Amino acid sequence: VVVACSACGAVLDAQDADHRLIAREAEQRRVEPAIPLGARGRLKGEPFEVLGFLVREITVDGDPYAWGEYLLGGPEGQVRWLTEYQGHWILARATTGLPEVGRDRAARYLDIRFRHFQTAEAQVRYVIGEFPWQVRVGERAWVSDFVAPPHILSCERTADETTWSIGEHVDGERLWKAFGLPGSPPVRVGVGVVQPSPLAPHLSRVLWLLAGFAAAAVLVHLAFVLLSQQRTVYEGRFVYRPGAPGAAVVTDSFVLEGRRSNVVIETRTDVSNAWVYFNFALIDEAGGRALDFGREVSYYFGRNGDGAWQEGAPEDRAWLPAVPAGRYYLLIEPETVGAGNPVTYTVRVRRDVPRPLYFWFVLGILVVPPAVLGYRQLRFEHQRWLESDHPMLGRGGRGGDDDED
Amino acid sequence: MRTSAYTVLGLLVLSALTWAHFTGWAPGVDEVKNVPTSVRESPGSYRAIYRGPRSYTGAK
Repeated sequence: VVVACSACGAVLDAQDADHRLIAREAEQRRVEPAIPLGARGRLKGEPFEVLGFLVREITVDGDPYAWGEYLLGGPEGQVRWLTEYQGHWILARATTGLPEVGRDRAARYLDIRFRHFQTAEAQVRYVIGEFPWQVRVGERAWVSDFVAPPHILSCERTADETTWSIGEHVDGERLWKAFGLPGSPPVRVGVGVVQPSPLAPHLSRVLWLLAGFAAAAVLVHLAFVLLSQQRTVYEGRFVYRPGAPGAAVVTDSFVLEGRRSNVVIETRTDVSNAWVYFNFALIDEAGGRALDFGREVSYYFGRNGDGAWQEGAPEDRAWLPAVPAGRYYLLIEPETVGAGNPVTYTVRVRRDVPRPLYFWFVLGILVVPPAVLGYRQLRFEHQRWLESDHPMLGRGGRGGDDDED
Repeated sequence: MRTSAYTVLGLLVLSALTWAHFTGWAPGVDEVKNVPTSVRESPGSYRAIYRGPRSYTGAK
């Protein structure tokens, strides 16, 4: 057992009859623990007291990264570790069994798969309080962390022993309440190694909802495909001679039946490197009302230095909304510039046709929120793994990118 | 909160899809009233709203 005095800084061997001096604070740089030694509180229903505090540090590419470790002792001899790095807290305890580390460098413990996060040699930089083993500044150990947020599995190896501990993310505010500490916990910086993502539960639920809504959208569309009339009510063929008088034509009458629904006008032409503009009017014979619309059909093609190209199409489809039942005819007046070749065109009128575009539009709207959430979740995980041995997209703060222990 | 907002959005969008399919909704076209009955006999007499000279220059 080691006792480190926070007043004079002396580190003593408590088991030695003469309380042999192990180290002096002169060898340490003084650090004030955020949770004072002797603080008492209940964590997960168990009472604990802060017995000791040490600072450990790893060096990656010449940059030191330090974190604090608090030793907590319970009245029945329970021992827990509370670690803090940049405002992120983890409560850990020794494992009761030996975790398995697979070839994929993942560790398995209590049916949880932990991904390897980081392995580094840690060094004790500061120590105060009471510890059940000899600990001194400068002591080194290889530490490997495996994560499955909010859980962490840590392996600590020295020349003499290997110890495993399992920990869980703890919210700083709750910790301050548990220990009855004044003020507020250290400000969190970045994303903690096992900090639960606040977005993950939402993303999961939203993805399920997306699946449900997409299935419902498919059903709605299919239902209308099956139940809609989709009937061709008129089809006619015409020839347009540019420059000649009498281009405007009217079709035979046709009957639109059923509820107020759409009408599709499909125009197919034989235009070739030319354009024709069609003025249409769907005229209600009884009411003297007309729906006016214009459609341009243009089709150009050729070959240049980049190869063959084409632009436009020789056919067109127009959707007229909510047309009531009745007897109608079409007025068609094609026009173009100049006096080109005659254009043969057919016009087909279809009633009550479900529009696939709406289904895709709806799907597009439904996908946006999960996509945004997914992107933010990815950014969160990117931040988490930035300080690991396996950053997702290259490292920001720390250099190096290797998979070596 | 996010989930419930998304639920509301999803239900609204699905309702809109059903309504659009049922009514045959589409971006509007212009409706003209009191079209003369002589259009059938004399198609050229009707001046459609969209009628006018075009000047297509889109081809390469």
